[in-house]
Amino acid sequence: MSVPRGAVHAKWIVGKVIGTKMQKTAKVRVTRLVLDPYLLKFFNKRKTYFAHDPLQQCVVGDIVLLKALPERRGKHVKHELAEIVFKVGNVIDPITGKPCAGTRFLENLSDSENLTEADTTYLSEKLQELKVCSTDK
Amino acid sequence: MPMKGRFPVRRTLQYLSQGDVVFKSSVKVMTVNYNTAGELSEGARKFVFFNIPQIQYRNPWVQIMLFRNMTPSPFLRFYLDSGEQVLVDVEDKTNKEITEHIKKILGKSKEMLEKEERERKKLSHPATFGPKKYHLRECMCEIEGQVPCPAFVPLPKEMRGKYKAAMKNEA
Repeated sequence: MSVPRGAVHAKWIVGKVIGTKMQKTAKVRVTRLVLDPYLLKFFNKRKTYFAHDPLQQCVVGDIVLLKALPERRGKHVKHELAEIVFKVGNVIDPITGKPCAGTRFLENLSDSENLTEADTTYLSEKLQELKVCSTDK
Repeated sequence: MPMKGRFPVRRTLQYLSQGDVVFKSSVKVMTVNYNTAGELSEGARKFVFFNIPQIQYRNPWVQIMLFRNMTPSPFLRFYLDSGEQVLVDVEDKTNKEITEHIKKILGKSKEMLEKEERERKKLSHPATFGPKKYHLRECMCEIEGQVPCPAFVPLPKEMRGKYKAAMKNEA
C-alpha cells in the first residue's frame, strides 16, 4: 500500500489465458459485468490484458490471478502473473483440496483403508451375488 | 404489456438499488463457483440469479466472475487488495444466508454508508439553482414563493419593462 502501484486502474484481476505464443507473456481475457442502460441487464464485457509470466507455466485455458506491476514492463504489459487459480485439466477443489473434474471428484473420497474385517466380507459377499446374477442370464 | 423474462423485476432500477451489500474498498474481485444441477448448489444458483445484479449495481468497480460446473462444491472467493483471499463455502445455504454472511464479513456497515451519504449531501446545497447536473432547480421561477415564469403566467403590468419605461418617460 505504501508503494504507489502502477498507472493502472485494475490492481488485481482474474481472467482466462487465451494465448501463450509470446515469450514469457500470457494473453489473458478478463470479463466484467456491465449494465446495459436500456435492458437493465448485466452482460459480460471482455478485455484482453497481457501479463508477464517468467516461468512460462500458463497453458491456454487456465484461470489466473493477475497483479498490477508498479511500473509497466513494455508497451502493453502492465500486469504479472500472481497465481494460477484453476489449472486446465487439473482443477483442485479448494474446499476439500482434492482434484476434481466437472461436478465429480477424481479421487475416491471414502477412506477405503479404514475398512474393518466385517465390512470387507460383507462387500465381497455382495460382489459374489452380483457375479451370480450376471451368469444366470 | 408485461416485461420479458422469468423474473423481470430483477431488471428494474428499484430492485437493483435495493441491494444492501456494499463491499469495502479493499475487495477487488469476487469469484462465484456453482453448479447448474444438484440440491447443494440451489442456494448458490438463486444467489447468482437474484442477488449478483444487486451487488454489481452497488459495486460497479468490483470484478465479478461466474464459473459453472468446475468443482463439485459451490463456493465464493474474494480477492482483496492486500493479496488476501477469502473463501466462503455456500454448500447447503439459501441465497439470503449467503448475502447476510458476505455483508457481515466484507460489507460496509450501515453507519459507514450513512456517513458517506451525509458527506455527499454536504457537497451540494439544495437551495441554489442552476444547471440540472449540479442543482435541483434550473431557474428562480421554479422555487415556491418566487415570481412564476412569465412563459406560463404573464407578469403584472408594473413589472414589465415597457410599462416602466413609459412611466419614466411620462414623469
